[in-house]
Amino acid sequence: MTPMAASSIEDLSRQFRAALDAASSPADLKALRDDFLSRKQGRVTALVKSIATAPPEERRALGSMANALKQEIEQALDARDAAMLATARPKDTVDVSLPARRPWVGRRHPLTQVRERVEDIFMAMGYQVVAGPEIEDDWHNFEALNMPAAHPARDMQDTLYLSSPVPAPDNARAATLLRTHTSGMQIRHMEAHDPPVRIIAPGRVYRRDNFDATHTPMFTQVEGLVVDENISLGDLKGTLNAFAEEFFDAKVATRFRPSFFPYTEPSAELDVECQGCSGRGCGLCKHTGWIEILGCGMVHPAVFEAVGYDANRYTGFAFGMGIERLALRLYGVDDIRMFYENDLRFLEQIAL
Amino acid sequence: MKAPVSWMRELADLPASAGVNDIAAAVAGVGFEVAGIEGDVIDFEITANRPDCLSVRGLAREAATAFAVQGPESRVQGLPAVARGAKVGPESEVPVTIESELCGRYALALADVTVGPSPAWLADRLTACGIRPINNVVDVTNYMLLEMGQPMHAFDVARLAGPEIRVRMARAGETLTTLDRQARTLDASMLVIADGARAVAIAGVMGGAASEVSAATTRIALESAWFQPATVRATSKRLGLKTEAAARFERGADLEAATAGLVCALDLLERIGAGHRVGRITDRFPSPGAARTITLLRAHLDRLLGDQVPDADVMRILTSLGFVVTPAHTDWHVRVPSWRVDVAREADLIEEVGRHWGVNRVPATFPALRTAPHRADAGVLRARRIRRLLCGAGLQEAVTFTFIEHVAAEPFAGGPASLVTIANPLSEKFAVLRPSMLPGLLDALSYNRRRDIADVRLFEAGSVFSMQGERQRVGWVLSGSRLVHWSQPAAEVDLFDALGVAELLADAFGVTCRFEPAADAPWCVPGRVASLFVDDGGASRRVGIVGQLLPSLTSARGLPAGVTVVAGELDLHELHGTDAALQRVTPLPRHPSVQRDLSILIDAGLPAAAVRGTIRASAPATLVDVREFDRYHGTGVPTDQVSLSLRLTFRDRDRTLTDVEVQQAVEAIIEALARTHGTTLRGN
Repeated sequence: MTPMAASSIEDLSRQFRAALDAASSPADLKALRDDFLSRKQGRVTALVKSIATAPPEERRALGSMANALKQEIEQALDARDAAMLATARPKDTVDVSLPARRPWVGRRHPLTQVRERVEDIFMAMGYQVVAGPEIEDDWHNFEALNMPAAHPARDMQDTLYLSSPVPAPDNARAATLLRTHTSGMQIRHMEAHDPPVRIIAPGRVYRRDNFDATHTPMFTQVEGLVVDENISLGDLKGTLNAFAEEFFDAKVATRFRPSFFPYTEPSAELDVECQGCSGRGCGLCKHTGWIEILGCGMVHPAVFEAVGYDANRYTGFAFGMGIERLALRLYGVDDIRMFYENDLRFLEQIAL
Repeated sequence: MKAPVSWMRELADLPASAGVNDIAAAVAGVGFEVAGIEGDVIDFEITANRPDCLSVRGLAREAATAFAVQGPESRVQGLPAVARGAKVGPESEVPVTIESELCGRYALALADVTVGPSPAWLADRLTACGIRPINNVVDVTNYMLLEMGQPMHAFDVARLAGPEIRVRMARAGETLTTLDRQARTLDASMLVIADGARAVAIAGVMGGAASEVSAATTRIALESAWFQPATVRATSKRLGLKTEAAARFERGADLEAATAGLVCALDLLERIGAGHRVGRITDRFPSPGAARTITLLRAHLDRLLGDQVPDADVMRILTSLGFVVTPAHTDWHVRVPSWRVDVAREADLIEEVGRHWGVNRVPATFPALRTAPHRADAGVLRARRIRRLLCGAGLQEAVTFTFIEHVAAEPFAGGPASLVTIANPLSEKFAVLRPSMLPGLLDALSYNRRRDIADVRLFEAGSVFSMQGERQRVGWVLSGSRLVHWSQPAAEVDLFDALGVAELLADAFGVTCRFEPAADAPWCVPGRVASLFVDDGGASRRVGIVGQLLPSLTSARGLPAGVTVVAGELDLHELHGTDAALQRVTPLPRHPSVQRDLSILIDAGLPAAAVRGTIRASAPATLVDVREFDRYHGTGVPTDQVSLSLRLTFRDRDRTLTDVEVQQAVEAIIEALARTHGTTLRGN
């Protein structure tokens, strides 16, 4: 075998591979196939023919090399053909930029989302979520909560009364009013259960308030109550600090301010550092750096006495927060009425 | 309560280094929110339990305790000069008679006066606190009201019949023109101050115009009394008359301040040269009670606060606030000052200590969980599941008001008598409690529609009300297009979309439901409304209604004509069923099923449910499913008939069915349909 002949076979192989790499369409492949394998002018065909002129002792070896090259080229072309066919663009293509056909989906109302967020945090702390009636009797809404008739604290919550009493199931007291707070659920739960108690009671409450950007006659509260031996104000602080941190998903500074509620003693209000300005003071927090989020305190012994708990043995804490107030914060809404208009342009901006 | 800091400083040794803002912050920190600061004047919000702080003295006491400095209770103050010579006794030129126990104390002094303007410093203080100066006599009473929280009233003795004072109940229909020149008609529940002839003041609320101090007045009778809080509150409320005096009496004035205030007022009159006392001070105090003493246990203090306040601080705080504290071993006996009407038991004392020790100093701890937590109420979990299910099904949750307009509620009520109405509604829009979820949802839908949002699918779960009580329901309204996409024409939602929501809910609660035409839903288009029944062990309960709302109703709520609204409502109490999450599954079939399609002509009025019933009754147990896949009327079908196409699926649990037995079953079905309903196979 002359070096000449062998090297011309290798040259041909190299030339084919370069041409194959450059081929980008079925037409390129067809031309390439013709160029190398055509019976008449194919370059491999010509090479095979030229073997006849080689010295007899080299013909055999050259023949098998040429055959191998021919097979290699055929296989390579077939493989590329198949690959091109698989990725070929069909005639009826789709414009993927056209609007998709979206499945129907609805969202939970923002007030529900905030409320469930609060519920979830307390459930993880071992609280039972309880529900109760929205129309209440005077005992559960006022009397048992240390607010006897003519108590000045009743003025703190202007009450909506029913025109005539609505009978309650199981011959209990008939409902005479729309509950002004969820605190009545403290009484209902303690009347039916012995300590220890660890509940939250979310629900709608009603006040005779105007309907404007900052007030609404109906809003949502979440009440919390923990009763056991040796529950302290420190426990209340630890619990609410943990809640605030979870709810705002950040280490937030909190501040307790002494306050007054007839059913807790001592009473306090919890402020959290304003998220809008990180406590520096802005319009959102009326330039105080703090936002009030809830009222709380240690259960008043008179409340324990009303439900038949031993006020010497048990202590407890209670708290109540307004969901709308938290939602205003969370969504950056400045008009509370938006939560009740059910305007889809608003609701569809809320997380799915 | 507006309090000038300069005035507070007169009563307490507040540090000179503490500015107005520091003092505001310190007092806010012990429970008196600051509503505003203007120059030297701090406006504090006073909670309903602290009438003693409706006074500069009370606020000075709180500030002194907060700064741990001498305050009104610890500073040694000389008695006013006038008090030294004053004799307190029953005799007076103007006799006082108390005829009602609603008046707990009544002190009266006479003074000869020269009525004129007050000195500027006094007038300025009143103005700073929001009270208009009138004349030196009236201004002195208002000054004492602000400083001590003790309301007083000056009568012109020359204009008192008798002259005498009788504290009695008003006579029904008795009238009195008050200082604000309003003629008031009184009733027998109201306590009045009367002279020998008629009422001259409404006790604790406002004086009368006829006996008012004027420029011509030369002798006054100065009243300083204590009235029962509830009666002042009731009278003030009934007359719609809120005054500075009533605000203090109705929360509870200081029984001891009645005479102390009077003495100080007389002293001030003399100091400003407005007049001087004549004769003795009358003090009617029918039943003076002993001061309240409460035992404060160290163990209870520590337990409730979760912190150990040192003995010295407990003593300091309580003493500075005016309590008289006697240590007893590790505990304390605490005598409550007369002005602290809110302190009745040990917890109240613990609050006093906690508030001035600082709630923020108490270390945060976490309560121990001693028993296994309980899972949420079934109703709460049920509502959560419903919300997730319906949101997943493409409905948006709405939150609508519980109270609605009467006209909106009425079509959905069982009758006007079953509506729960509000006695004192804010407006007609919030007059009755919703009898159904639908009126609120319909209004929400209409709200969106009026804002050009046509495709609306809303739901809400919550309480509905009737005179039978409160129930939990879920309601939904659908309107607009089912699907909007450029690739196909829009299709409007119809009754079957609303029915599907009901099926989905029933399914989620593991109950099987069926629909029947309803005739008792006047808010729906007749013939396009279904009752939803759940079969529960033989008994059948109606759990809801699904229908197309009457066009007259939708247009009354502001929807344009031609807009179809379909709606449904389920009673959640009736859906208790089984918890679908706990249902066992049936094993999967191991043998192939055989399907046969059947097209039959039936009377147009024959319900599909009846056809299905006949099929099931006449088929062997191997018939596992019957499903309509076409319903057609038109060309080729007689006008009073429809063509109904059904797909029957047969399957046996244990073996593969043969063509022959399936064929036999189908023939039996066809025969039964023909016999029962006179149906014919289409195309035969």
